Amino acid sequence: MTPPLVIPYGNADWVAILPTITVGVTALVVLIADLGLPRKMRRLSGILIAIAGLALAGVYALAGWHHPFAAFGGAFVNGGFAIVFEEIVVVAAIFSLLMAARLGRDDQAGAGIALMLWSATGAMLMAGAANLLTIFLGLELLSLALYCLCALGSWPSSRESALKYFILSSTATAFMLYGMALLFGATGSVALAAFAGPHASTPLFDLGCGLFLIGLCFKLSLVPFHVWTPDVYQGAPLPVTAFMSVVTKAGVLAVLARFAYAALPAPQAHQILLPLWVVAALSMIVGNVAALAQTDIKRLLAYSGIAQLGYIVAALAGTTAQGLRYAIFYLGAYTFMNLGAFAVVALLSRDRDEGSHLSSFAGLGYRQPVLAGAMTFFLLSLAGLPPTAGFTGKVLILASAVNAGYAWLAGLLILGTAISAYAYFKIVRVMYARTTGTQIQRRFVPASALPWLGVALCAAATLVLGFYPIAPSDVLPLVR
Amino acid sequence: MIAALVVVPIVAGLLLYTLPRSAEAAAKWIGVVVSFGAFAVAVANAGAPDESHFWLQRPFSASFHVGLGGPGYWIVLLLELSSGCALMAARVPRMRDFVAQMLILLGAMTGVFVARDLLLFALFWDLMLLPVFLILVAWPVSKNSTTAWRYLVYNLSGGLALLLATAAYGIAEGSTDVIGKAASLVGPISPVWAFWIFSGIAFAFLVKTPVWPFHTWMPETYADLPAPMAAVVSAVQSKAGLYGFIVVGTQLLPGPMRAAAPLGIALGLIALVYGALAALVQDDAKRVVAYSSLSHLGLVVLGIFSFDPVALGGCIVYIVAHGLFSTGLFVTLGEVETREDTRLLSRLGGIGARNPRLAGALTIVSLAALGLPGLAGFAGEILILTGVYQAGYVWQTIVALVPIVIAAAYMLRVFQTIMQGPEVPDVPQREDLSPLEVLALAPIVLALVLLGVFPGPVAATRVVPVSSLAGGVPVVAVIK
Repeated sequence: MTPPLVIPYGNADWVAILPTITVGVTALVVLIADLGLPRKMRRLSGILIAIAGLALAGVYALAGWHHPFAAFGGAFVNGGFAIVFEEIVVVAAIFSLLMAARLGRDDQAGAGIALMLWSATGAMLMAGAANLLTIFLGLELLSLALYCLCALGSWPSSRESALKYFILSSTATAFMLYGMALLFGATGSVALAAFAGPHASTPLFDLGCGLFLIGLCFKLSLVPFHVWTPDVYQGAPLPVTAFMSVVTKAGVLAVLARFAYAALPAPQAHQILLPLWVVAALSMIVGNVAALAQTDIKRLLAYSGIAQLGYIVAALAGTTAQGLRYAIFYLGAYTFMNLGAFAVVALLSRDRDEGSHLSSFAGLGYRQPVLAGAMTFFLLSLAGLPPTAGFTGKVLILASAVNAGYAWLAGLLILGTAISAYAYFKIVRVMYARTTGTQIQRRFVPASALPWLGVALCAAATLVLGFYPIAPSDVLPLVR
Repeated sequence: MIAALVVVPIVAGLLLYTLPRSAEAAAKWIGVVVSFGAFAVAVANAGAPDESHFWLQRPFSASFHVGLGGPGYWIVLLLELSSGCALMAARVPRMRDFVAQMLILLGAMTGVFVARDLLLFALFWDLMLLPVFLILVAWPVSKNSTTAWRYLVYNLSGGLALLLATAAYGIAEGSTDVIGKAASLVGPISPVWAFWIFSGIAFAFLVKTPVWPFHTWMPETYADLPAPMAAVVSAVQSKAGLYGFIVVGTQLLPGPMRAAAPLGIALGLIALVYGALAALVQDDAKRVVAYSSLSHLGLVVLGIFSFDPVALGGCIVYIVAHGLFSTGLFVTLGEVETREDTRLLSRLGGIGARNPRLAGALTIVSLAALGLPGLAGFAGEILILTGVYQAGYVWQTIVALVPIVIAAAYMLRVFQTIMQGPEVPDVPQREDLSPLEVLALAPIVLALVLLGVFPGPVAATRVVPVSSLAGGVPVVAVIK
């Protein structure tokens, strides 16, 4: 493996983070536009400006595909790996923004959109972060914006959600920071690339890795560090929940994968990472079992997200090149199917009611057949049934786990999937069951037609990815 | 054109939702035309070359490979005939949605039997769950809400086990594009892998067939499904497991399959005897047929695991025969139920006097079901029993004869109670079969007679086409 080229010109550094900067600056543009425009136009113009900025950032990022290099003295490595994660963040942020018609009051909309963009900036920074300082910078940018976003709802549980997220997340950050300090102490460097040396076998290094991984697992809401997730997801406004469920995970997953693949010295990697696979297995089982009992879609998707992240981490088991590609493929599939499901919920939401209770789906198959069909399709994909991206993704993960010698993990994945089917099909059942009793026939008046676009695009992507599983090929050499 | 047999029904089913809800007759005729059109296309394409399209290269190669040939060909014809006849006789509320689901089921099940790739086979295997689940949820015949769940949990567990086994097979073999190839052309798999892979697929197949002890989902599913879908599910979906044993088990995993033969024969015998005894005491006419199905398919399991060429030919004949008379039974019992509003034997009686055509139809299909010589059931039974005896299983053959005698008892009990005896006063007497309903049953009766006197072409089906045999020697030589 050849080390990435270091370009001795200062300006090249800025090219590497140009997409990230674009998103950050777009947030400022949104804020300024918010000041100048009449109140009625603010929300829509904010959303449109933000989407345009994100799309621009996505195009910039793609332009660097075949030119990997390390910027800022190795602090930010640009290349296939970072770009794929940046694109996932960009796409997820765009789909979340499509649901933003109900994000906060009208006079908060601009700020809300700007915060979302800054949060995405943090995640994009994490996608390329190759030393501990950049990782921490990205993580805090991501999290601080999210604390505020969680509190944007006008209902009391929104503030509860923000406070819970703030306190618990800060605790996890403390763990992680301590881990980083120990890693620095053990290796004398903050660069991930410098970890795989002879000094890496000390107990100090192991302890540092452990604390660092605990912090990451908390942010990924893997069992047993998942307890905060359902409450935070339920209380936060819907677009924020949708955003959190993908963007946070993508950013942290990038750090986790880079750490697992590039930073750990090969001999110890298996030993150090074994607890991680156990955590992934626990997530698949516990997440799905807990999802069974939920009657709120946001809580249900929170638990399902815990399990889905378990699947993705399971794909990394054995740290094979194949596994990383399939983890990325499944993350992409998860982005579309999960955000598609959220977009359906967004269409059902009305004033003071986010449409997230199971009862708002009652009889949807007869009132809104297309919407119910789309929801069924996304749920099928989440449950790993054909003909969807979730199915193909699961086959790839199973194959990679079996190939890497982790057949037990594949077996548990199957068990978790079998359990999860009940949770997902519960929603399908509610949508199509003929209930004779008293049923509130809600009128279908979506707050905004924008989520329809999200539903259509996500459904198309979920279908196409199911038949043409595009897993990026030149990702692995660029981790370091 | 082979791919069209799968795609067109599914697309037609989805497009049906664009019709107005009131267009019930139009929907029904579209369903009938698509089913019989598919039948005609399948007949016209007998012996057509396989169609293949690239799907996956890594982690193992897979393709969208479909072909019409081997035992699958006869089952596809059976499926299309059964679906068309059942739809023609269908009388259900909300006809448009019902036909749509029937067509989606038709496409998905055709996919199972034309797939020449194990992964594609697993894809359709999982896909065919959904329409049945939706129908169980949305057309509840009884108030029993657990039926749909039980169907889903059993069959999805099987489907996921099949999926894991497929992924493992792909890793071990490098390719899943293997169905219909001779075992000698497919590379060997180490015994340990083969054992686990076979365990996975055998579980899926045994649940689907079903055999004791995995059968508990079956009687209530058949009882709660509306008659047309019960006809198709019992006629064809239950054959997917047997078909799997023939084309996947005996061909691709002969080692573990032979090792499991004592167990398979024992399970077959248990299903055979237990199903027959249970069918004797049911009060619900559909449950009698459900348990008789358990018994009859136990005979096929016995035949397959005897590994005798004559028995295997008989199995294919009996699979088709059972599909025909089981469609006939469910359709006629559905007619009885729509006329009398009950299917409890204790509340029915003496209908035959005023419904001679209905009585005639039930006579023929029951006689076929109890194995009257000259009808298709007998041809299959005698071939299987001869083959099993030839293979050296003497006392097993003797045990298998007993339930065939019991079959006469329970089938005639159903016929006698419903059609003969004194008229039950509280049951309304309505009109006899309409010409359309006679027309719907005619092809089935015709096929039963035809297959009964001329089973040769079906019995001589080669599991592996001659062209793919190494040196022209069939691995499982089939009766000439």
